[in-house]
Amino acid sequence: MLEILIYGIIIGSIWTLVSSGFSLVFGVARILNFAHGTFFVLCAYIAILLFPYLGYLSVIPAVIFTGLFGWIVYRFLVSPVRDYEVMVILITLALALLVEEILLAVFKDVSKSFPSPVSGVVFVAGVPVPMNRLLILGVAIAVTICLEYFMSRTKMGKFITATSQDPEASMLVGIDVERVYSVTMVVSAMLAGIAGILYAQIYSVNPATSLRVLIYAFAIVILGGLGSVRGSIVASYIIGFIQVAISMLFDPRWAEIAALLTIIAVLIVRPKGLFGVE
Amino acid sequence: MWWIIALAVLAIIPFVSPPSLVYLLGLTFIFVVFVVSWDLIAGYAGQINLGHTVFIGIGAYTTALLQTGKIGLPIWATILIGGLTATAFGFLIGAICLRLRGYYLALVTAILPLICIQILNVYSEIFGGYEGIPLGLDKALAKDPIAEYYIALAFMLACIVAITLLIRSPLGIKLKAIREDEELAEAIGIDVVRYKLIAFCLSAFFAGLAGGVMAHYRITVGPDLFDVPLMLTIILAAVIGGLGTIYGPIIGAFTIYLAKTYVFARIVQMLSLNVSDEIFLYILLIVVILKCPEGIFPKLRRLIA
Amino acid sequence: MRLLPVLLILAIAPVNAGVIKIGVIGPMETKYGTAMVNAVKLAAEEINRKGGILGNKIEVVVADTKLDANTATSEFRRLAVDEGCKVIIGGFSSGVALAMMNVMAETKVLWLGDASSPRLTDLVSKDYDHYKYYFRVLTMNASTFPLDMIDMLDFLRSEGMKIKRVAIIRDNALWTEDVMKKFRPLLEKHGYEIVMDEKVGRGQSDFSSFLLKAKERADVIVPILAHVSGVPLIKQWADMGIGIPIAGHDLAAIDPDYWNATDGKCLGEIYIADGGAVPSPINDKMKHFLEAYKAKYGHLPEAFSAYGCYDAVYLYKKAVEMAAKAGKDPFDPDVLVKYLEKFNRSHPFEGVRGKIAFTKNHDLVWGDGFIRNWVCQWQDGRQVVVYPKYMATGKLMIPHQKKKTPGFELVTALAGLLLATAVRRKS
Repeated sequence: MLEILIYGIIIGSIWTLVSSGFSLVFGVARILNFAHGTFFVLCAYIAILLFPYLGYLSVIPAVIFTGLFGWIVYRFLVSPVRDYEVMVILITLALALLVEEILLAVFKDVSKSFPSPVSGVVFVAGVPVPMNRLLILGVAIAVTICLEYFMSRTKMGKFITATSQDPEASMLVGIDVERVYSVTMVVSAMLAGIAGILYAQIYSVNPATSLRVLIYAFAIVILGGLGSVRGSIVASYIIGFIQVAISMLFDPRWAEIAALLTIIAVLIVRPKGLFGVE
Repeated sequence: MWWIIALAVLAIIPFVSPPSLVYLLGLTFIFVVFVVSWDLIAGYAGQINLGHTVFIGIGAYTTALLQTGKIGLPIWATILIGGLTATAFGFLIGAICLRLRGYYLALVTAILPLICIQILNVYSEIFGGYEGIPLGLDKALAKDPIAEYYIALAFMLACIVAITLLIRSPLGIKLKAIREDEELAEAIGIDVVRYKLIAFCLSAFFAGLAGGVMAHYRITVGPDLFDVPLMLTIILAAVIGGLGTIYGPIIGAFTIYLAKTYVFARIVQMLSLNVSDEIFLYILLIVVILKCPEGIFPKLRRLIA
Repeated sequence: MRLLPVLLILAIAPVNAGVIKIGVIGPMETKYGTAMVNAVKLAAEEINRKGGILGNKIEVVVADTKLDANTATSEFRRLAVDEGCKVIIGGFSSGVALAMMNVMAETKVLWLGDASSPRLTDLVSKDYDHYKYYFRVLTMNASTFPLDMIDMLDFLRSEGMKIKRVAIIRDNALWTEDVMKKFRPLLEKHGYEIVMDEKVGRGQSDFSSFLLKAKERADVIVPILAHVSGVPLIKQWADMGIGIPIAGHDLAAIDPDYWNATDGKCLGEIYIADGGAVPSPINDKMKHFLEAYKAKYGHLPEAFSAYGCYDAVYLYKKAVEMAAKAGKDPFDPDVLVKYLEKFNRSHPFEGVRGKIAFTKNHDLVWGDGFIRNWVCQWQDGRQVVVYPKYMATGKLMIPHQKKKTPGFELVTALAGLLLATAVRRKS
């Protein structure tokens, strides 16, 4: 039981970072970004690639580049077709698969991991918890606090909140909505990128990870309610616990099916999610 | 006139072209049915179903499992059972999902193939997991590759004729009315949900049949029949050809499938790039969506006219 | 003396002068595929430098299966029909190979293949006329892996390790099903107990739940992995301080770069080297192969498949020459099958991994002296063969249980406190 709790919290923390960005973009710009998992994987790969030259500092250029990539995706791919919902899905899905194939060609089908800066194991009531997993907990909490600060204390954050509530009214009061959308996309990409590095630090990434991550991101934001950042944070931990519990008690291969079925069940029974927002 | 010339060319091809092109063309014929059957629901009924591959896969796996089992049914009987199974799933999925609109329909249907693939993996003893199920040589459509080619051609023609007839029937006209304006259609007394569901089932039926034929054509089934790349190829073919026209998706399907399996693959080999030929496909899809979301062929036709 | 082969070439050359195409098929996105291509190209280069096969230069054509039955069958067809390859080398993944068997039967092309499921060679014995073109050169029949693994466990026991309860982590694929069919009763017979048997799919990278389960219940973790990378498993095994040894069939561990890929976390991992593939100069041919490979590519063979593919090219050359010498058409696959079958227990072919001989259904003969799977261990950046004794290049290093490090619970408590405050802030 304790194992499930501890490991669930840790994986849930990673999902928090993934899903809050995903949810933010949908809530603000109504963009369903199927390439969200790509940010996650791409950032991890860049950090791993630069590690031999920069050491742990490679995290910084990786996250910055991922943010830039998010901006490029929004500006050149998503923005032109933003009014056609299905086209947004198709174009981001095509992009996700394109990047996956490119990564496959460059890095081959090899699982890569990011070296962890800490080592050692802590025993909590007999359950071994590696230090590198505790690190994740710390980083995830710190990043979430930063996000909260950005959203509630900065001008841009307030613009984002305003736009998500009423884009037309925001435009009327002089908010540059396009710019708000770009910034949201950049923030979302960077959050996913950080999560990617954290994930690669304890597990490993391979090009196919992006679709896997996307599935969990979907499950979480739909459970938490599309567009609700707080809902998705709570849902992240719920999904994290479910995932670990199923892995421990049954079979990890069922964990993904459970996530997928959650999506469909919630959509059919309660399309607005647990903490539904309009 | 054009049809006759095209048919004549297709009939002669096996005698003049390399065997592998003949084999690929046979696959293309089946792929055409995938695309046309998707167009039936997406182009005519206006419901963007991103999980069309579910029906293809169910059709293929049904016949594959029945044939590897101990039941001595002929191939075409199990293919038909595959088509009917797909229809049953189409009915179930349609009954649940067609209430959803826009994002939600696309999202739920996009997720269905992923569930199917996971189930194939979990019950790998039955479904062969990611390695698929190989069928024996004796389960092929025909002993001879050229005979297989003609069977696939005949199958494609039969499906196209059937779907064309359906579209020209009163049913097709009602579907078009629903696509143009759902509320108006309801107002003039069309049972929108019922007709959408019928369209969904028909689309599933043809996809399931085609999936079954595909299984026996290449004598192997695998999760690729469910997977997202196949779905995107279908969408790309339909979008390039122009949704909601019969000829468009057919031309689109020929163009895209041959480009992908013949031209792109050869470019990759010639440049000895170590990449998948699908890369070109995704780039093409992105460009098409950005530059002409209404389709290349309708646009070309307008330019010429 | 040197004139004889030249005369022979002159006698046949007018008919077949030119190029012999050899196809290589495998999952090119993985190391297994690239190793196949590298090895075949190396062998082809060596043979071409010495005049080719009966005066014909070898040309290598590559095809990618993408580990997917559909792509694999159409690519196999391309090699056999369009490219006109005389022989196809490679494979990988039994499920995929099984699909390719049908194309092989249809196109009647010789296939010196990989993939370990017994079902492949069962086809040879069941329907010889159609499937006789397949010879399993790269790897052993999966039904022999259990013999190697039980040998390994017995050996570990004899070295004083206390092993009884076994936790298995394996590929969710056809070949491990076939391994387990034989391994399960064998384990019972030798007094072991299976306490966990888990399957993992491709792309799986989180092994923590398995490891926790195994730590609780088992004395040893036995991975049976080829399609799934063992790197994350080993990393998490070391990071989590699991403490019980890992000993099994992990294909990734054969790669000489494995030590770097795992940051040295594979220290102490025991594995069996598939088909005798280990970068260790066990004979002169192996020594030459390893040196030539390193000279050409700058590193040792990256996967097990390199050894078998290199052998396969020479094996093919030998069979062609034998057929030509006997005055038969050396490029008729039906003729070549007869000559390949001549390499049996009493007349083996000397390959880099040892003696290659075929059984009646075209499997490699297993056993001491022939090809079998060596038990190896990663020790301080080196791969050491520890069993069988006549092959051993070093002694088994017995991993000792790590001590628990309490006191860190404080850190956890702190983290929990942090979390609690964060949650409160948000609500």
